[in-house]
Amino acid sequence: MTIHPLRPDAPAPRPAQERPDTAAAYDSTWAEQPVEQAPEGLDRLMGQGGKIYVVLAVVLLIWIGLVTVLFRTDRKIDRLERRLDRDIPKDE
Amino acid sequence: MSSSAHTALPVRRRLYRGVRGLVVVTLTGVVVAGFLGTIPQLDILEQSARNLYFHVPMWFSLMAATVVSAYHSARYLRSGARVRDLRAREAARIALIFGGLGIVTGMVWARFTWYEGTGVWWNFDPKQSMAAVLLLIYGGYFVLRDAIDAPKDRGRIAAVYNLFAVVTMPFLLYILPRQMPSLHPGGEGSPAFSQTDLAPAMRWVFYPSVLAFLGLAWLLYTQRVRLAWLREAVRAPDGAPEPEPAPHR
Repeated sequence: MTIHPLRPDAPAPRPAQERPDTAAAYDSTWAEQPVEQAPEGLDRLMGQGGKIYVVLAVVLLIWIGLVTVLFRTDRKIDRLERRLDRDIPKDE
Repeated sequence: MSSSAHTALPVRRRLYRGVRGLVVVTLTGVVVAGFLGTIPQLDILEQSARNLYFHVPMWFSLMAATVVSAYHSARYLRSGARVRDLRAREAARIALIFGGLGIVTGMVWARFTWYEGTGVWWNFDPKQSMAAVLLLIYGGYFVLRDAIDAPKDRGRIAAVYNLFAVVTMPFLLYILPRQMPSLHPGGEGSPAFSQTDLAPAMRWVFYPSVLAFLGLAWLLYTQRVRLAWLREAVRAPDGAPEPEPAPHR
């Protein structure tokens, strides 16, 4: 990104134009950026369709997290059951 | 019986694992297809029609859970077996969880469709109000349980209450809202068999979603029952010896 500081030798802006010019200085910064290149790779895929894929990725990550909790809880219950079966012999 | 391996609740592990695998695969597919699949473009609904895949299965899961809960309550009244009471309680809990999710997702959906631009989150639409009443009835089930200390009395009284509660479910969710003007779709005719209420392309996502969420509800219910049973075992169940102190602690 090119940064365009105000040149010290530039003529001082007229007072009447001071307000609009504060915005104009930033405008030029953006306007002089190189022409936007077509996004590549991941950016191109995720940018399609109003970035719906980004939402999909977020929801899928949450879902993976919930599934992990489901599996881990199952494993913990399995372990607890085995331990209790060992510790509390039940004669009936 | 032998002296080992009877603390744990017998669970059909292969069935459980099979359902778990199917639920994970199906719901992942439902999320992907739900976001990316094509849907009819309708006014007011627009892309929010995709909520159908996630909001409606909440209510089907609630209905299934309440029926399961009532079934175990009835069995408890016949047998008095502790595990029936636990199953009834945990199924009712799952019903409340799914019902809570259903009513909150419904509120958000309605806010930006029916009440768009009005800032109204809740306007006492019959379908919403009756669903809220149903959730209160099931909340009452847990208040009732907490109010009784003796396990036998608690189980029996709660089971009777639960049988009355499940009878209100179809009335509050279907019959009464249909007698009143409601904005909720599916009020006329028979939406389950209608050929026009649901676009064919959406059926391929919606039906698997319903089945998968039912499966998910069953998985969570099974987990909770196993945990509740373990807790009972730790608290010295009726007829069983006091748990021995753990050797290393």
